[in-house]
Amino acid sequence: MTLAADKTFGADKTFAADKTIAADQEAPPALFDAPGAAAPTIYPTRLRLTHVLGGVAFLASAATLSVLVGPADLPAGAVIKYLLSKLPFVHLHSGLSTTGSIVVWQLRMPRMVLGGLVGAMLAVAGASYQGVFANPLADPYLLGIASGAGAGATIVIVEGPALGNLPQSALPPAAFIGGVIAVAATFALGRARAAERSAASMLLAGVAVSAFFVAVQTFLMQRSSPGDLTLVYGWILGGLSTAGWGQVGLVLPYVAVAAAVLFACRRLLDVLTIGDEEATSVGVRASHVRLVVILAATLGTAAAVSVSGLIGFVGIIVPHTIRLIAGPSYRRIIPLSLLFGAGFLILADILARTVLSPGEVPLGVVTAFLGAPFFLVVLRQAKRLG
Amino acid sequence: MKRPRAAIAFVIACSLFVTSGASSASPARNAAVDRPAATGISRGPCRPVCPGFPVSVKSGDGTVRIASRPERILSLSPSATQMLYELGAGSQVVGVDEYSTWPANAPRTKFSGDETNAEDYLYLKPDLVIFAYPSGTIIQQLQKLKIPVLLLPAATTIANVDSQLAELGTATGHPNGARSLESSFAADIASAVRTADGDGRGATYYVELDPTNYYTATSKTFIGAEFSLFGMRDIADAAGHGSQYPQISPEYILKENPDYVFLADTVCCGANAGNFARRPGFSVLKAVHLHHVIGVNDSVASQWGPHTMEAFVSLLARLLRQGAPT
Repeated sequence: MTLAADKTFGADKTFAADKTIAADQEAPPALFDAPGAAAPTIYPTRLRLTHVLGGVAFLASAATLSVLVGPADLPAGAVIKYLLSKLPFVHLHSGLSTTGSIVVWQLRMPRMVLGGLVGAMLAVAGASYQGVFANPLADPYLLGIASGAGAGATIVIVEGPALGNLPQSALPPAAFIGGVIAVAATFALGRARAAERSAASMLLAGVAVSAFFVAVQTFLMQRSSPGDLTLVYGWILGGLSTAGWGQVGLVLPYVAVAAAVLFACRRLLDVLTIGDEEATSVGVRASHVRLVVILAATLGTAAAVSVSGLIGFVGIIVPHTIRLIAGPSYRRIIPLSLLFGAGFLILADILARTVLSPGEVPLGVVTAFLGAPFFLVVLRQAKRLG
Repeated sequence: MKRPRAAIAFVIACSLFVTSGASSASPARNAAVDRPAATGISRGPCRPVCPGFPVSVKSGDGTVRIASRPERILSLSPSATQMLYELGAGSQVVGVDEYSTWPANAPRTKFSGDETNAEDYLYLKPDLVIFAYPSGTIIQQLQKLKIPVLLLPAATTIANVDSQLAELGTATGHPNGARSLESSFAADIASAVRTADGDGRGATYYVELDPTNYYTATSKTFIGAEFSLFGMRDIADAAGHGSQYPQISPEYILKENPDYVFLADTVCCGANAGNFARRPGFSVLKAVHLHHVIGVNDSVASQWGPHTMEAFVSLLARLLRQGAPT
């Protein structure tokens, strides 16, 4: 498998935009370059410090706000002191009550961290899917993860009592397994349809597999009680209400490994934008790259949705916004998606628990409400500047 | 170590109490269930005409005219099923939905009440169909088939329950049975409230409907109305924003630190006092320390039939009277 693209292609040759185009001569960013276009547009690819700093500042602001805001109305100064006192060699008296410190450390912090992990994973997986499928509408759920995970979760909720009284703790593993089975089925079908795992055959297989698992889920829901329906819809709409450090520990390894693999593949994703044949001509086997990227994105996404439910829009909105701001190179999009995806979902979660405080709004509803108009504004702004 | 064990035993006993369908209804009331003598109206088809018919009754979607006394009732609402049997119309019932678990001898079917094709029901030849949550155009379909449909949506107050009893009594030809049931229902509830003797007044509570998203019920629901009888305060009221069943955050539960927690998700989701206390941060809750986390059958939050309501109100009265279980 040829993954060491740096040796055969990439930054040093065709895409050596760092050398050929000065930073102040950047071409206006396009939403997407279709593969096989007449001539690939050359864009700068080096990650700009300002973008990274912007992403870090955005994430840090969202994270800070997240631990300061909540229905418990804890004094901001006391919360900050309490968090600082958790650092080694820092001894501060926060003045928080026992309940207050529990709220911060056992509820707000894990919720913020889990939101960041899930947001980063969904955003980077969405960007990667868009890269390997050269499809601007691709999102992490393209190959059937959502429907597979949804079917897995629904089986536990609806058929749990009949399956030996499965506890609610069986829901995340069931959703994870369902998501992975769905993508594995997509792969098997996609390969059966074409000798090579081409993007088109994979997409079609994904549509078929999704339809099948949605049918399974719908059938189960149709047979379920109203109480079960509430649970299923609650899971489908996503949320971080039950976030704890245990869930963070559960998801972190998957997200870390998946994000590392996708980060390592960022140059290869750039290569794929010129088309499979052209990529092969410069020593990159597109099908192998696609396999590795999809595997990493699938495992990470399945782990994320297993604890958060189906949170839509993040995988589309974040990468495209970054693409409009920083250009279409995956060497920029992938790392920035991690930062901005994490920050975006943390912010959305703050809204989810404050808009109707002390009530909550499902997180998936907030990402859709927030994401759609925000994306339109960015799109319009980019058009005006361009 | 005796205390936790005793507490667990108490919680299990409470759950069994509600689940088993033990009722606080007076023995006389129970004996009267579904007996013609209780209503004063004879059984069986009344031909050529039924006295008192035709009648017009208020349904959730308007007024329904029922030409003659229904003899083949299909009840697709567990709450309506309870009412029918308690007011004396049980022998007219030919089918109930799969969730109607009381009374045990009701003719249960596989219908969930979500059916969207009226043809499904026709083999029972119903002459009255009762819904709580109809799906699609099922009501219109049944109306085209000239089958009267009574829609009795979830009650929000005790008075709502009474009015549904009255409508059912009129619709089934048992107005006296309905009146008698209303009186005994009110008496039983009042007796339970007296048992508590003011204990629980001002106490706060949280009713959990699912452990994943923290959906709960406000006092503007029938289960909330039951707590209100004792002067208890629902922590979810501030979170309602127009919704009777809002989603709240675990942080808010910690902040409000309710005196009592009622887990109405023991059947669907396996919630119990033990796993509730093990959730992040919940071990410090007052209700956990006082062993006031009570597992109840899920039906107490979804069924407003007199049987379920009396059982729950009676349980509440005893809990409040006894204070912390020992």
